[in-house]
Amino acid sequence: MRSYLARRLVGMAVVIFLVLTIAFFIVRLAPGDPAALMLGPEATAEDAAELRQQLGLDQPIVVQYLKFLGNAVRGDLGTSIFFKQPVTQVLLGRAEPTVFLSLFSLAIALVIAVPIGNYAAYRRGSFLDQASISTAMLAASVPSFWTGLMLQRYLATDLGWFPAAGYGGPDAHFWERMRHLLLPSIVLGIVNSALILRFTRASMLDILGEDYIRTARSKGMGEARVVLRHALKNAAIPIITVIGLTFALLVSGAVVTERVFNIPGMGNLVVSAVLRRDYPVIQGTLIVVASLYVLINLLTDLAYLLVDKRVRY
Amino acid sequence: MLSMTTTPAKRSLFAALLTGAVALAPAHAETIDVAIIGEADTFDPMMSTKDVVSIVTQHFVETLYTFDSGWNIAPLLATDLPTISGDGKTYTIGVREGVTFHDGSTMDANDVVASLIRWLEVSPRGKGVADRVAEVEATGSHEVTITMNEPYSPLLSLLAFSNSAAAIYPEEIIGDTIDTIVGTGPYMIAEHVPDQYLQLVRFDGYSSRSEPSDGAAGARHQVPDEIRFVPVPDANTRVESLLAGEVAFADGLPAESLARLESSDTADPILLKPFGWPIFAINHKAGLLTDRTKRQALQAALPIDDMLFAAFGDDSFFIVDGPIYPEGWVWRSDAGADMFNQNDQAKAAELLQSVGYDGTPLRILTSRQYEFHFKMAEVAKVALEAAGFEVQMDVVDWATLGQRRNDPALWDIYITHSPFLPEPALTSLYSRTSRLGWSNPDKDAILAAFTTETDPETRRELFAQLQNQVFEDVGFIKIGGFNALMGGAKGLEGVTATPWPFFWNAQVN
Repeated sequence: MRSYLARRLVGMAVVIFLVLTIAFFIVRLAPGDPAALMLGPEATAEDAAELRQQLGLDQPIVVQYLKFLGNAVRGDLGTSIFFKQPVTQVLLGRAEPTVFLSLFSLAIALVIAVPIGNYAAYRRGSFLDQASISTAMLAASVPSFWTGLMLQRYLATDLGWFPAAGYGGPDAHFWERMRHLLLPSIVLGIVNSALILRFTRASMLDILGEDYIRTARSKGMGEARVVLRHALKNAAIPIITVIGLTFALLVSGAVVTERVFNIPGMGNLVVSAVLRRDYPVIQGTLIVVASLYVLINLLTDLAYLLVDKRVRY
Repeated sequence: MLSMTTTPAKRSLFAALLTGAVALAPAHAETIDVAIIGEADTFDPMMSTKDVVSIVTQHFVETLYTFDSGWNIAPLLATDLPTISGDGKTYTIGVREGVTFHDGSTMDANDVVASLIRWLEVSPRGKGVADRVAEVEATGSHEVTITMNEPYSPLLSLLAFSNSAAAIYPEEIIGDTIDTIVGTGPYMIAEHVPDQYLQLVRFDGYSSRSEPSDGAAGARHQVPDEIRFVPVPDANTRVESLLAGEVAFADGLPAESLARLESSDTADPILLKPFGWPIFAINHKAGLLTDRTKRQALQAALPIDDMLFAAFGDDSFFIVDGPIYPEGWVWRSDAGADMFNQNDQAKAAELLQSVGYDGTPLRILTSRQYEFHFKMAEVAKVALEAAGFEVQMDVVDWATLGQRRNDPALWDIYITHSPFLPEPALTSLYSRTSRLGWSNPDKDAILAAFTTETDPETRRELFAQLQNQVFEDVGFIKIGGFNALMGGAKGLEGVTATPWPFFWNAQVN
């Protein structure tokens, strides 16, 4: 187990180093000048060149990379060109909405997907099974921005049940901020429930066809016990895998939904940073997202240990 | 609409209502939430020519002069309009006494001199005029004198403009960059959470002018307790926030939302008519369009009315109008405007043939950041190809466009737009030192005369000649005019429809 963990941690470090390097060069390959953007349309090429010099963007790219690498090793991801703040501070400012939006969305997706997926598998071929598959297909097919726009217009603007956008003002307390996340969470929950539902159903179908389930039933075990105690537990590994991936995706930024609801999370940040050519923020976001991905994958693998005693590392 | 957030002020108003003591409620107990198109790049308005920076910063920093509702120059931190010497080279400016900065210090001539010198050194617009300025000096504790090398009539407009503004700061904070902005404006920064809000609170030490409010001039009454600028990059989200009653004002709304705003119980549309003009900026430094005949062919071929219809869809959002300034402006002239909207591809083809056009692609650099730019380019492409041009559309994001247009080797036309500016010389389009590089002896002479002439009537005549040059020599192409849609809460008053709206007099009835 220890050697497994050590191997994984070394692997994580390699992945993060590669992401760090690729992120640095790829953002600079894209055309666009943050200085020209900041100065506005009436600024001259000379004005832009002067600002680039102030920002250190005129230095050779290798020099910039080595400086970036040295700082990153010390945990310093640089300073945002746009916000004039350390990137870590900018990212931390986005943590609360992103983390809670991800958690709420995942909770909603699980509440929808796991019971329905299980029941659909148990009643394979029934009306509910067909309906759940169709609904899941629909939810997966409809773009999240459309779902977001519709719910925003009818539930927030017309009916006033939810805030339409934003994350609350200066006087917004914690629960007020959480209230702003409800509608986007519902949107993301619906969208992400489709995949989890399909995985849950498929996994349960496999398990329900296993010999040991037939054996349990032949021994006269109650259906509820067969399904909940034996089938569900054994079907959990693929479900945990897809939950882990879904959570990682959500944490890395629900770009479109955050944009539609003007939630100041990681997704919104990365879109704005790309448009502003805020290189340090783009790099920092990619590094954090990559780190979260590998970390969540590791935690997912470790979670297998809890649900299946046969798993050994 | 006015967003009455759950502030202590609101709670006290509620308590007052409960106890029947409405008359005791504070006169100003409101927060105005304003949805703007994005985060301001800087709070130092000297450093940026972006409109969103002007909109936000004019609430906490001020200039010596400003514009009234008729775009006339009016004093703000200056006591009055300056005394200008007979040769037009010396401006003596009285500076108001008793004006306090947000840090508690009092403004005097030394602060103004230090600020103006910084403006000449670091601001894009200030640098453009720096070589004409011989000296800026304090000639009294509250008097500043600007001495020019030659007369330069747009100077006061530059000192009044909130864009790349000649903002006045305390001398003590002046540097190449300013970390914490300290101004004299009616509001000061309380908190800024990037991409969430900028909270401005009333500055109790504010010294307002006493004249009646008139545009940005006159009294600034500090009506709301707070003004909060909320960056909302998505236009549709700005519409929903306004209709849901979450913001009092929303800037830059899509034309498609007009019907919803008109039928809304909570908000009203505010149409700024006219707002500005789309521009085909032409590269005179390098490439295909350095040839005047080819530029004339380009001008002849363009179907301006079709381009505007494609771009805006609804004719309440555009006007097919050739003169550079709209009806009602002092700069309005018809000179040369008969060459506008020719939509004559046969004539264009003849012109191209006359100079032996060899099929070199005409590169149109545009972006979908502003969808109307792209749509105009699409229609233009069809017409230009019908005239015989080989057209290459380079559609890039705005950041790339901002970079590429600084390199004359990469484009022939780039598409941009501008609000109508109170003084023609506030745009660099006419200048040979701009990125367009438009220059010919006649135009340069007219422009030189225009910027040094001080008599208003003569300046109007010179501008008519300059406009004629724009058409004759095809310096750039104005693609008509367009309107801007904003929205306000029902009952919102004290907000003037302008490209740079301000909220110090805003209230809801």
